[in-house]
Order: sequence, then structure tokens, then C-alpha cells
Amino acid sequence: MCAQDATMGKDAARAEWDNPMQFVLACVSYAVGLGNVWRFPYLCQMHGGGGFLIPYMLMLVLLGVPLFYMELAIGQKMRLGSIGAWRAISPYLGGVGMASVVTSMYLCLYYNVINAWSFWYLFHSFQSILPWAECPVNSNLTGPVEECERATPTQYFFYRETLDISGSIEENGGIHMGQALCLLLAWIIVYLFIIKGVKSTGKVVYFTATFPYLVLIIYLIRGVTLHGSINGVKYMFTPKMEQLAKPTTWINAATQIFFSLGLGFGSLIAFASYNQYNNNFEKQAIIVSMVNSGTSIFASIVTFSIYGFKATFNYESCLERVRLLLLNTFDLAEDTISLENVNHWIAELNRTHPEQFASLGGRLETCDLEAELDTAVEGTGLAFIVYSEAIKNMPVSQLWSVLYFIMLLLLGMGSMLGNVIAVITPLSDLKFISHYMSTKTLNGLVCLFCLLLGLGFTTRSGNYWFTMFNDYGATFSLLFIVLIEVITVCYIYGIKRFEKDVEDMLGHRLNCYWKIMLAGVSPILLIALFIFYIVNYIQGGTPTYQAWNKELGKSVVTEYPPYAQAFIGLLLASSVCCIPLTALYTYCKKRNLASGKRERTVSTVSA
Amino acid sequence: MISYVFWGSLALSGIKEGMLVWILFLLCQVGAPALAQDLCQRDAPNGYKVRISLKTALGEDAYEWNQSEMFFFQATMAFAMRRHFQMETYNVDNIILCVQTSRVSFWFVVTSPDNTTMLIPKADVEKAVRMSRHRINNAFLLSDRTLEFLGIYPTLAAPVNPDTPPWLIVFGVVIGAVCVGIIALLISSLLQKRRKEKGMTEDGQDEEDMQVKGVENGINLDGTYNRGFTDDDRFTKL
Repeated sequence: MCAQDATMGKDAARAEWDNPMQFVLACVSYAVGLGNVWRFPYLCQMHGGGGFLIPYMLMLVLLGVPLFYMELAIGQKMRLGSIGAWRAISPYLGGVGMASVVTSMYLCLYYNVINAWSFWYLFHSFQSILPWAECPVNSNLTGPVEECERATPTQYFFYRETLDISGSIEENGGIHMGQALCLLLAWIIVYLFIIKGVKSTGKVVYFTATFPYLVLIIYLIRGVTLHGSINGVKYMFTPKMEQLAKPTTWINAATQIFFSLGLGFGSLIAFASYNQYNNNFEKQAIIVSMVNSGTSIFASIVTFSIYGFKATFNYESCLERVRLLLLNTFDLAEDTISLENVNHWIAELNRTHPEQFASLGGRLETCDLEAELDTAVEGTGLAFIVYSEAIKNMPVSQLWSVLYFIMLLLLGMGSMLGNVIAVITPLSDLKFISHYMSTKTLNGLVCLFCLLLGLGFTTRSGNYWFTMFNDYGATFSLLFIVLIEVITVCYIYGIKRFEKDVEDMLGHRLNCYWKIMLAGVSPILLIALFIFYIVNYIQGGTPTYQAWNKELGKSVVTEYPPYAQAFIGLLLASSVCCIPLTALYTYCKKRNLASGKRERTVSTVSA
Repeated sequence: MISYVFWGSLALSGIKEGMLVWILFLLCQVGAPALAQDLCQRDAPNGYKVRISLKTALGEDAYEWNQSEMFFFQATMAFAMRRHFQMETYNVDNIILCVQTSRVSFWFVVTSPDNTTMLIPKADVEKAVRMSRHRINNAFLLSDRTLEFLGIYPTLAAPVNPDTPPWLIVFGVVIGAVCVGIIALLISSLLQKRRKEKGMTEDGQDEEDMQVKGVENGINLDGTYNRGFTDDDRFTKL
């Protein structure tokens, strides 16, 4: 009795959000991350512009919102992190929580490296000339460094000065001190944000959730007033309906919704576990999902107006170079050829001076605006190379650079908070850990551990390992985890029991939309996605990566060496196998307990 | 000088010899510029092509390129040669220009002041231009990019290397502020805990409050309650 009182007393002291707004902002801050800025615009462009919104919205309604709702319900009901919550739902499937924690741990390790890069770029923006605006001079002061000449200054700055990247994943180098310092700073700031648990996190999310929108609005105004931005926005929104017939479009829409909402990591369960019991999470689930998708669309308008500016700038620079070439070769007066009639003059000169024109040979470039717009990039390439190239051509580029990288930092930090809390909450719920150390010490140890392992990503081959983690660490295992989650809640725990719990918390029953989606549509869609991933992986052959070639000044496709492929397998297996292993362990323990109890009931007087 | 030759030859020899000398002299007059033109031509081995982009550099304020400007160029080049060789003998005539186009571009060669048929080698001309490049550019209100000597590449400015890279300074400021924040939070929570401990030992009222709170919040503890419920199921089954 006394023991139970003590545990009840301890749970009564579970931290809570100061108000429901903090919880909503925490979810928004977590869900709205870098993927909204650098993955959605790419998908939009690849899959037919405005037409992509149709599968995207459909998947949001069929897959995203119901699963989001389910995770919030579980967290709020069980008031425990993912390990404890899933163990409470079904003792055999406690491994689901463990798998979530392992996946979140992988994410924590590599995600903060992006924040380290953002810090590096941010600190380098405080110079009169942005360092990625022009090539540095070589040692005998005769011209720019060769590697920079073959590539572009922004690529050189990213691959050589920021990463000091080696030629392949096998060539390790030393740690890049600047990167290591920035990673240290990133982890110290994460620690500062979570130091007092939800009390400190709750105050931080007011800022990390709202400030990126302010920057996006400022960028939107700046973007649409730039010369040539309308080309990019028009290009993006012109729907190409034939793309909807391809299955990849639908699959990418589903995957994007899935990963953008951050399902399966355990962060949402952790956030919801700090809620009041009767918090109306139904309304909040819908709000957060809508805000997340709306932000994706808003961010892609900004991205495309900047794309349009960059493409127009490059196109006009190309025309200028052709104009100068013609003027110099044919010794015409400066004002005869202008940017508008360059093409007319090319035809004219070809007609009148064919031999001299032929001598131009390969030096005459073809300038094509469509080709410039077509260079779709995603991921770190978009954020750190394409965007910084566009920013360096804006007037007052230092200001725009600082604003942009602060926005990237806030988006990244907001998501990091969710990732770290997903690891810490289940650990602090474990009795033997919370008995021996306070939350502050636990938080500090987790941050220190992740920092030390994360230093591996700051080595010269670190970017290749980063890409490996990014592509394989969380994608496949998450699908599996969420599939098991949905099946567990609907069929093992029972949809009826779930319905009763929700009615207990909210005061009204689940309406049929939720029931149909959770029990029927979502599992089917998840199984389809899962099968597609496996088929794609098998058909893809040996996994490859993009290695930066110094001599050519561009990335080349290289195969992973055997030990790296084994490591990929380990990444995938380590999180997924938690589920069957824990089930097996629980089964064995129960069997031992059952046989032990039978022996004890003989000897004790009362049960 | 020409008239001396003429009268002198006329006086020395008869009219026939005078005619011969006069014809020779006329040929020389015609031939001298022809000889100079032979020295300066397109792709001359010891010459350089100059390209000027006035509209690019000055836009609306561009001046017109005419013969006077060409003369100015000759004077500037002569100055550059004087400066490099430290010889006061170079003159405007030693700079020969040809192949002018409307681009504005032209070729030039430099002849030696002692012997007008001998050209100064390319390497020396290059050294002279490099030495006075800044003065030449400024004379025409142009830059390295808009006044081009094709073949003479401008030396790029040496990179400015400050002692501490600027990014490190910003980094130092930020990390200092964050560490101060963390230490402040840790100390404040430590002080709060010590104050609470002192308060609790003074009266046991707080402990009772906590117990009451626990019972009042019993409704919220369905999490733990659920686990008890699941265990009960197991017992009844057995």
C-alpha cells in the first residue's frame, strides 16, 4: 500500500506543459523542420508542380492525420515515454518503444551535424564579402584555386572549406576542428533547451516555432520582388497532370507526409505524455498536421521564387558572356549587341562570317532558361549550395545570409528538441535510471554521448557516413515500426478499448472517420509502402553514394565498399529486431514467472 | 634637315645626282611609315593587343575614343617604358599603333629610341606594363577588366589574412553566452532546491500536502491504474 502511494506520488509529480499552447507549439516546432524546406519543393518540382498537391493532400487525410492522432492519444493516455507506453499497451510489444528509441538515437547522432553546418555558415556570414561568393586565390597569386575553377565557388566552399571532404568513404582523415567546435556549440544549446525538462522546452518552443515563419514571410517578400522570380513560381505551379499517372508520385507523397510529421520516432508520444489528461488532442492533431502541410507549400513558394531568381541570373550571365565573346571575336562596337538581340546576332554572324564563326568552336555556350530551372536539387545540396549561391547575388547579401541560416538553425533545433526528448523521456521513466540520477545529469550524459559519437561525422569522410545514416538509418525501420504500432493498437489492444480510452479523455466517442482510417486504410497504405520499399531496395542493386571528385570538380556515383554495406544492414536490423527480440524475452520471462508462481502458491497462505 | 640634304646634294653634285638623291629621299619618306607599318601588324610577334570597354566601365559617362585618346595612350605607354628602363629617351613616336577597330581594340609595338627599326622584346614590354599598370588604368578611368592587354594577366590582390578568423570571434561570443546561461540555470535550480529543503525541514506541512495532492490527482493516474487493470485480467484468467 505504502509502496503504491509512493509510486502514485512520484507520478503525480510528472512534469506538464504550462498550457496547451506550449504543447501545440512543441509539435509544430518538431514537425516543421528542414524537410519542409528542402524536400517538399524538390518533390513538387519532380512530380508535376501544382498537380503534386493532389496526392499530397489525399495522403495527409488518409495516412498522416489518423496516425498522428493515434500517437498523441497513446502518449496522453499512458503518460509515459515510448518504451513504457507500448509495454503498457501490450507487454509482448514493448520492443516497439525500444525500436523507436534506437531510431531516434541514430537521428540524434547525425541530425545535429546539419545544425553544426548552419552555425558554420552563419558565423561566416559576418564578413564584408561572403566567403562563398568568389574563389580564393592560389598560392602564386596568378588565379583562383583549380578545384574552385572547375566547380563553382559555393560548391568549393561547401565541399572543401566546410567539410574538407575526402575522395571516398574509405579515405578517413582527421577531424575538422571548425566543424567539431560548431557541433559542440549545437549540443550545448540543445542541452540548454532541455535542461529543465518540459519547463525549459515549453518556453523555448514559443520562439523556435514562430520565428521561422517571420523569416519565411520576410523571404517571401524579398523573393517575389527579385528580378526573375516569377519564372520560378510559374514553373513550379504549372501542373503536369501526366505525372499523376506514375505510381512513384503517390508513393513519394505518402513517404513525405509520413516522415514530415515525424511519426514513429516516439517524440509525439513523449510530448503528449506531458499533457493534462483531458487535453483535446483531436483538435490539436488536425491543427498541427494542417500547419505542417501549409508550411511546406509556403516554403516551396519561397524556394521557387529564389530558384527563379538564380536561374534568371545565371541565364543572363550566360547571355552576357556570349555577348562579350561575340564582341571580342568580331571586334564590333560595344553597343551593337545587347542582351535582347544576342540570339539574333548569332544567326546573323553565322551567316555573314561563317569561317570566323566556326573558329569559335566550343566556346560558344547555349543559354537556356528552362535548363537552369530544371536543375532540381534536394537536401543539403539545396540548402547549402543552391540557396547560398542565390543569396550571394542579392543586394546586402550578408543580411539575407544571416537571416536564412538563423531560420535553418531554428527549424533544425526545433526538430532536434523532439528527437532528444524522444530518447530522454523513456530513459527517465525507467525506474533504475531515475533512481540513480537526476534529470539534469541524465540529459547531460545523453548529450555528451551523442556529441562524442557525432564527432565521427566531422571527419573528412564524415559527410558520406552522414548520407548513409540519412538514407538508411530511419526510413525503412520507421515504416516497420509504425505498421506494427497501428496493427497493435487496432487489433491486439483492440479498437474498442482504444475507443473507450479516447472517450474517457475527450468526452466524446471516436467518429467513424478515425475508425475507418486507423483500422482499415492506414494499415493497407503502410503495407503497400513497405512492400514498395523492399522491392525498390532489392531492384536497386548495390547501394551507391555521391563522392566528390577533386580533379573533376563534381560528384561521381560510387558504390559502397562491402564493410559499409554491412554497416547499412546493421543500421536497418538493429532497430527492427528490437521488436521480435523483446517479444521473445517477455514470453520467456512470463513462462519462468508462471512456473515460479505455481511453486509459490503452494507455500504461501494468502495470494 | 630635309632641306639641307636637298640643297647640299644639289650643291655638291650636278642636277642629275641631285635628282637621284631627291628620288632616294622621296622613297625614304614613303618607305619609313611603310617600314613602321611592317613592324606593327595583327599578331605581331613583339606586339600586344589592347582592348578597351568604355561603355562597360563608365556607362553614361563614357568619353569618345578618338585620335587624341590614341595619342594619350601613346604618351602613357612611353611613360611606362621610361619608368621601367629608367631612360628618358622614350618618346611618343616610339609607340606604334595599328589595326584599330570599333570595338575599341588595337595592336601596338614599341621601338627602341636608339634604332627605330628595332622592336623592344615582348617580355620587356610586359614588365613595363605590369610595373605601371595601376597608373595606366587610372589615366583612362578604367580597370584591369576594362582596359585589357591580351596576354598580360593582372596580378591578383593578396588575400587579407587576419590573425583571428572573424568567424571564430562570433563563435566565441555565442558559446560564451550559452555557457553563462547554462551555469546560471544550474545555479538557480541548485539554490531553489536548497531553499525548498530548508523549508521542508522547518515544518512537515509540505509532506502532507504532497500526499493530499497525490490522492486528488488519483483520477489523472490512469496510466498506472491501467497497468494494475491488465494485471488483474491475468489473475482472473489463472
